[in-house]
Amino acid sequence: MKDLKNAGKFYAHYLRPYWLEFLITTILIAISTWAIAVAPTYMGRAIEELTVYVQQWANPATRAQASFTAFNHTLAIFVLLYLIDASSILISSLLLSKVSGYSTGTMRVGLFRKMQRMKVQYFDSHSDGDILSRFTSDLDNIFNAMNQALIEIFLSGAQFIGIIWMMFTQNATLAWITMASTPVAIGLAAFVMHQASVSVDRQQDDIGRLNGYINEQITGQKMLITNGLQQESVAGFQTYNAAVRKSNLRGQIWSGILNPLLMGLSLLNTAIVIFAGSWLALNGSLSQGAALALVVVFVNYAQQYYQPIVQLTSLFNMIQLAITGARRITEVREQPDEVDPKNGRTLDGLKHELVIDNVHFSYVPGKEILHGVTIHVEKGEMVALVGPTGSGKTTVMNLMNRFYDVDSGSITFDGVDVRDFKLASLRQNVGIVLQDPQLFSGTIRDNIRFGDPEADQNRVEAAAKQANIHDFIMSLPDGYDTFVSDEQSVFSAGQKQLMSIARTILTDPRLLILDEATSNVDTVTEAKIQAAMDNVIQGRTSFVIAHRLKTILNADKIVVLRDGKIIEEGNHEQLLAQNGFYAELYHNQMVFE
Amino acid sequence: MKVLVPYIKKYRWDVIWSILAIFVVAFATLWQPHLLQVIMNAIMKNDKQTVWTNGLYLIGLAIIGIVGGIINTIYSARVALGVATDLRADEYAKIQSLAYADIEKFSSSNLVVRMTNDINQVQQIVMGFFQQVTRIPILFIGAVILAIVTLPELWWVIAVMMALLLGVSLFSFSRMGKYFGRMQQLIEKVNTLARENLMGMRVVKSFVQGANQTKNFAESSDEMRDVSVKIGNLFALLMPAFFLIANLAIALSIWLIGQNITSHPSNLAAITSFINYLMQILFAIINESFMLTFASRALVSLRRIHEVMATKPSMTFVSGPHRDLDGAVEFDDVTFTYPGDDKPTIRDIGFAVKPGEMIGIVGATGSGKTTLAQLIPRLFDPDTGIVKVGGHDVRAVTEADLRQTVGFVLQRSTLFSGTIAENLQQGHPNADLASMKWAAQIAQSAEFIERLPHTYHAEVEERSSNFSGGQKQRLSITRGVIGQPKILILDDATSALDARSEKLVQEALAHELKNTTTIIIAEKISSIIKADRILVLDDGRLVGSGTHLELVRHNDVYREIYATQKALEEGV
Repeated sequence: MKDLKNAGKFYAHYLRPYWLEFLITTILIAISTWAIAVAPTYMGRAIEELTVYVQQWANPATRAQASFTAFNHTLAIFVLLYLIDASSILISSLLLSKVSGYSTGTMRVGLFRKMQRMKVQYFDSHSDGDILSRFTSDLDNIFNAMNQALIEIFLSGAQFIGIIWMMFTQNATLAWITMASTPVAIGLAAFVMHQASVSVDRQQDDIGRLNGYINEQITGQKMLITNGLQQESVAGFQTYNAAVRKSNLRGQIWSGILNPLLMGLSLLNTAIVIFAGSWLALNGSLSQGAALALVVVFVNYAQQYYQPIVQLTSLFNMIQLAITGARRITEVREQPDEVDPKNGRTLDGLKHELVIDNVHFSYVPGKEILHGVTIHVEKGEMVALVGPTGSGKTTVMNLMNRFYDVDSGSITFDGVDVRDFKLASLRQNVGIVLQDPQLFSGTIRDNIRFGDPEADQNRVEAAAKQANIHDFIMSLPDGYDTFVSDEQSVFSAGQKQLMSIARTILTDPRLLILDEATSNVDTVTEAKIQAAMDNVIQGRTSFVIAHRLKTILNADKIVVLRDGKIIEEGNHEQLLAQNGFYAELYHNQMVFE
Repeated sequence: MKVLVPYIKKYRWDVIWSILAIFVVAFATLWQPHLLQVIMNAIMKNDKQTVWTNGLYLIGLAIIGIVGGIINTIYSARVALGVATDLRADEYAKIQSLAYADIEKFSSSNLVVRMTNDINQVQQIVMGFFQQVTRIPILFIGAVILAIVTLPELWWVIAVMMALLLGVSLFSFSRMGKYFGRMQQLIEKVNTLARENLMGMRVVKSFVQGANQTKNFAESSDEMRDVSVKIGNLFALLMPAFFLIANLAIALSIWLIGQNITSHPSNLAAITSFINYLMQILFAIINESFMLTFASRALVSLRRIHEVMATKPSMTFVSGPHRDLDGAVEFDDVTFTYPGDDKPTIRDIGFAVKPGEMIGIVGATGSGKTTLAQLIPRLFDPDTGIVKVGGHDVRAVTEADLRQTVGFVLQRSTLFSGTIAENLQQGHPNADLASMKWAAQIAQSAEFIERLPHTYHAEVEERSSNFSGGQKQRLSITRGVIGQPKILILDDATSALDARSEKLVQEALAHELKNTTTIIIAEKISSIIKADRILVLDDGRLVGSGTHLELVRHNDVYREIYATQKALEEGV
């Protein structure tokens, strides 16, 4: 119910701009319902007029009067009514097609815009697949529902009201009798749908487990083959497959039963109406002819009466998916935005020093990651952060350009807290090179000038040269116009890393944060990347998060983090002399003869 | 479609029940107007008895219809699930019979889709087929025949109506086809943009490019919106056009009858039923076209499943009696190209390893180290040259013998959800606790396994997320040594271990598995510095072979790698 209410709010928000379209659609559908309801009477009249014509024609006395005029006239009205019906439905379908296209378009762009504003925390705490599926399957479900269900809801609703109205104008007693079974039908439908959704949930769990098994096994196929485990894998598969078959059967039956059940009920209802009608005809106050005509009319109504209900229940799944989609998108919309201070200051380079002062930080409340970290960095210094996985190195980096904010303590540029700067200004001054060099689809040029799309070729080339990647780019047939896609890249991890360094060089940041690549790069390539990094570091204040010590031997200061605390600090020689954690790490990584 | 026939045949009794039930339902639908007619006549004749009995018949008919519908649903579901389950099981068994190269060709994620979504599509279409499709043609043909019988002179009205309906559908669907293609491209583009921004959120934020990215995204999204509206408009045309055509046909029929009414007065009575049949034809066509779009999607799925089923394993093993192989490995002028590549990844490789030797393989990323190692357990066969294990060409060794002889610990440690013991038993089917402990001692995993509450029966979660990288590697090594293979290949399998553990593993291997040939592929020279022999690969070629000291002296490639890892302070 809560979902339904929220979904209502969600759709009201996105559909409000289209109130005029909805108004016109409502009017048009009302017109079409009227036309459809009235048209059969003209058909009846045409046949009646034809009968009259035949009778007049058959009688020599009146043969001269027999004329087709009335018949043709009535038939023309009949055609006209269906033309009105068809054009009303056409226009309202066109309007609703526009509404569903435009409103889902607004949702999609809105979701993207929201994504750009949200805190990094959200992305770190949700899987990419989950967020992405909100763009794909959830928006898809919403679009499908709008595209197909919206017009059906209008039509079925109008049809339902129209039939009830027509029935009551003809005979109230029979109208009540026709409608009497409605609660039973709706109750039965609700029961079956509930059973279906329970079984479908269970079935989804089993399918999830089966898919998990298939995924795990096939992804690990190399291991299965080298250990000769294919037969065992097939045997294990059978259990999951059998479970899916069992629960799926229930789900399939419950959801498949609904339609025949409602059709049967409609037939049953027709029988009841016939009983009641013929009872009225035989025992009632009506004349036999009138009663007979009523029975004929009501048999028609009884058969049509359930149609809208059947239609709507067949849309049930679709609507349910759209409600879920609305919930999942609303979840994103309700996430807090990054805090950009009002009247924030503009940061213009680092003049004296950057101070990380007694910083405490936790990603999850109660689970502190940094326990009072203090680091002083003079302008122009290179500081290296070293420590085992989970020691908090990357966390320190996350705080400097405010991907996250400190719990207590502060980070200051020349005495001004980072939280007092305009977010954009802070980030323009702090350049980062990430471990995983995410490139974007587009040309190499577009990627290098990512931070400044206005940059000209000279600046792009200059940056590429500093990053030692220019020669490689020129060796490609399309040079800087070579297309990069992150999916199936022809570039090696090392080449991508160099491009991402060029990308950072181009923006000429005052403070640099370099998160070193850990894997996928051999030590020779790493040395090349190191040379490029050295170019960038020159003349800039920089932080290097080091995984391989070879690259930081020349740092002005090496800070060793362990479990969120600084345990050693100094330059390479000093730390080696201490013969502590750093020295051990160094001996682990380096080759000694 | 032919693929499905043998599967459906297996459930022939369910099929028969389901079809019988659908006939009962169809009978109930068709008989009902007749009963109504009888009741009407009875009312006119004031015949209460007939009204009551036929009224009861009508109720009975409704109940028969419901029961028939339920029975049809149950048996259709049984057929659909039976077929889907069997098909999935066969497809899975088929995949497991394929060579690794075949699986690579499909890509594992693609195979997963074929096993899940595609099978589901097939299940839905089989269900739909037995619930709906069998009924529609009966009703359609029946309605056409009855309409023609009722008013034979109007046969051409029916023909014109059907032609017009077909014309409108063809027009819409062919126009739509064009837009669907463009739509697919736009969907991919929009998804790519969303995914890239998601994965590169830190990059976008730190370069302050949110606004620019949103502008790009909005451009593609707007185009997608416009195309989707165009498709929607074509759909919007369908229903009104269908009904208009049918109703115009009705009006035309009435008018035509009017023109000849004086010579055929009896036609007056036939008009109503003729109109009913026209509407039934219309509904049959609407339903059929919906089923067809549905079926076309299922056909795509079926074709994709068939592709898997029709794939012949590109590699087969000889069968024969068990042979004991020793740990000798030999490469004789081996060249190998990955399927789909135009350049060989390794070329002209030749070397021989004696049983019990410890061999290191080094080289830059992409130099072919892993590729070379993968030829030993015969994940692939070389283009030219011979790979020998225990003195025999691997292509002449039975699968069981080869698996028993060669243990391969992968670069990316793959553990499966289940218990630790279950994972270890994958290395040796009947491994008992004692041998698990023995292997765990060697791989240095005993220390953390035995500290777990359930020790060897501790759960390994999906993606083994409850173990650290180093622990995963040590578990993989445990699994690799538990079968006491004659040849053990460690493909960068100790990269996440610290130097001390790595050294302990190597010492234990040397001590416990004296006769086992060990082939270690490593990025770190420290991992292989003690090897009997080190093979140096560069761009797919074997460019050096010797001990560490020999290579440092004589091999440029090796020296360059070494220089990047050497300590500043010699011998500290």
